[in-house]
Amino acid sequence: MACAIAREVRDGETVAVGTLAPIPASGALLAHFTHAPRATVIIMNHPDYWPFRNGSKEFYDFAQRGKFDLFFLSGGQIDRRGNLNLIAVGDPARPRVRFPGGAGAAMLYYLPRRVIVFRAEHSPKVFVERVDTIASPGSTPPDVVRPGGPWKVVTPLCLFRFDRARAGLVVEALHPGVRRDELQRQTGFALEYDPAAGVTPAPTDGELRVLRTRVREAVAKTYPRYAETAFGR
Amino acid sequence: MPVAGHVGSDYERLRPEFRVISNPFAPGERVMLVPSIRPDVSLIHAIAAAADGTLLLDPMEDDALLAQASRVVVASTERIVARGELNAVADGVILQGIHVAALVEAPGGAHPTLVRGVHPIDGDHMREYIAAATDDATFKGYLDRHVYG
Repeated sequence: MACAIAREVRDGETVAVGTLAPIPASGALLAHFTHAPRATVIIMNHPDYWPFRNGSKEFYDFAQRGKFDLFFLSGGQIDRRGNLNLIAVGDPARPRVRFPGGAGAAMLYYLPRRVIVFRAEHSPKVFVERVDTIASPGSTPPDVVRPGGPWKVVTPLCLFRFDRARAGLVVEALHPGVRRDELQRQTGFALEYDPAAGVTPAPTDGELRVLRTRVREAVAKTYPRYAETAFGR
Repeated sequence: MPVAGHVGSDYERLRPEFRVISNPFAPGERVMLVPSIRPDVSLIHAIAAAADGTLLLDPMEDDALLAQASRVVVASTERIVARGELNAVADGVILQGIHVAALVEAPGGAHPTLVRGVHPIDGDHMREYIAAATDDATFKGYLDRHVYG
């Protein structure tokens, strides 16, 4: 997932990673240490990659001005239209499951030019036909200011592309070894495929080497447990 | 106050106090307004403070914003120092004493959360709290051990 994310980062961009996002942090740093040395990488509360000194307000104000080229969000539920649910499963007044809440996600899905949605669990419980509550809509009417929006969705099984014309997700690539029937079984909506859909290139030896050295070391400063367990040997 | 984004999400349905209006500065655009949050009292723990109530705050947190939104600010601090010492910290956020109604020196007053540069978060204590907070009986045990004890 980190490699799939890294390949979406372009050199020279401003790339920001919010809270509870070690996989995007790894992907952004992998890109920064390889093909995107001139990218500005921002990782929330990281001692070396957090340029703000007036709390989260400075970060949110910066984002509201549209200064992020690439940002990352996740969802307790994610649906075929790219809607994200960070609020609750069931009736929000009497939820069956309460999620942490949207925080800035109803702004951060609009202002950064491209948003990559990531989720480490690809199951029918997460990828649903329609989310129960829309914290962040995939699409909005034309009278809503929205310079950015969903771009890709990265999971352990595949890479979706958000198709603006269809206002929905289409499979762009399956990860190595994942079959279409298996992907459909793990997804709660009928999959649509990009005509050019292929297989995600496997991580190269070079990518893995950088991940397991410089990226692991940098990520450990914000996510020590993740750095201990997630990178293999 | 206006907020970017949000229009078209279920916040319009779930939060009736949020309003969507036509943007008077940009015809043809809709924008969401939300009421300001105005706490009666905020309790803030400072890394250090001067006797006039001026606080040295963590630059990663929004304490100064919270203080300025509140009617009354009650502050605690790790230590009280001379006013000039606060300016010597390059990265610190300074909140002027005019915003602060009361100040008490209370080292460790933020435990089990962190005070940057003084002590880290107490992870074991946080895990104990989370486990205890699942029902009233275990939470009473937590309070007896750490608050009333």
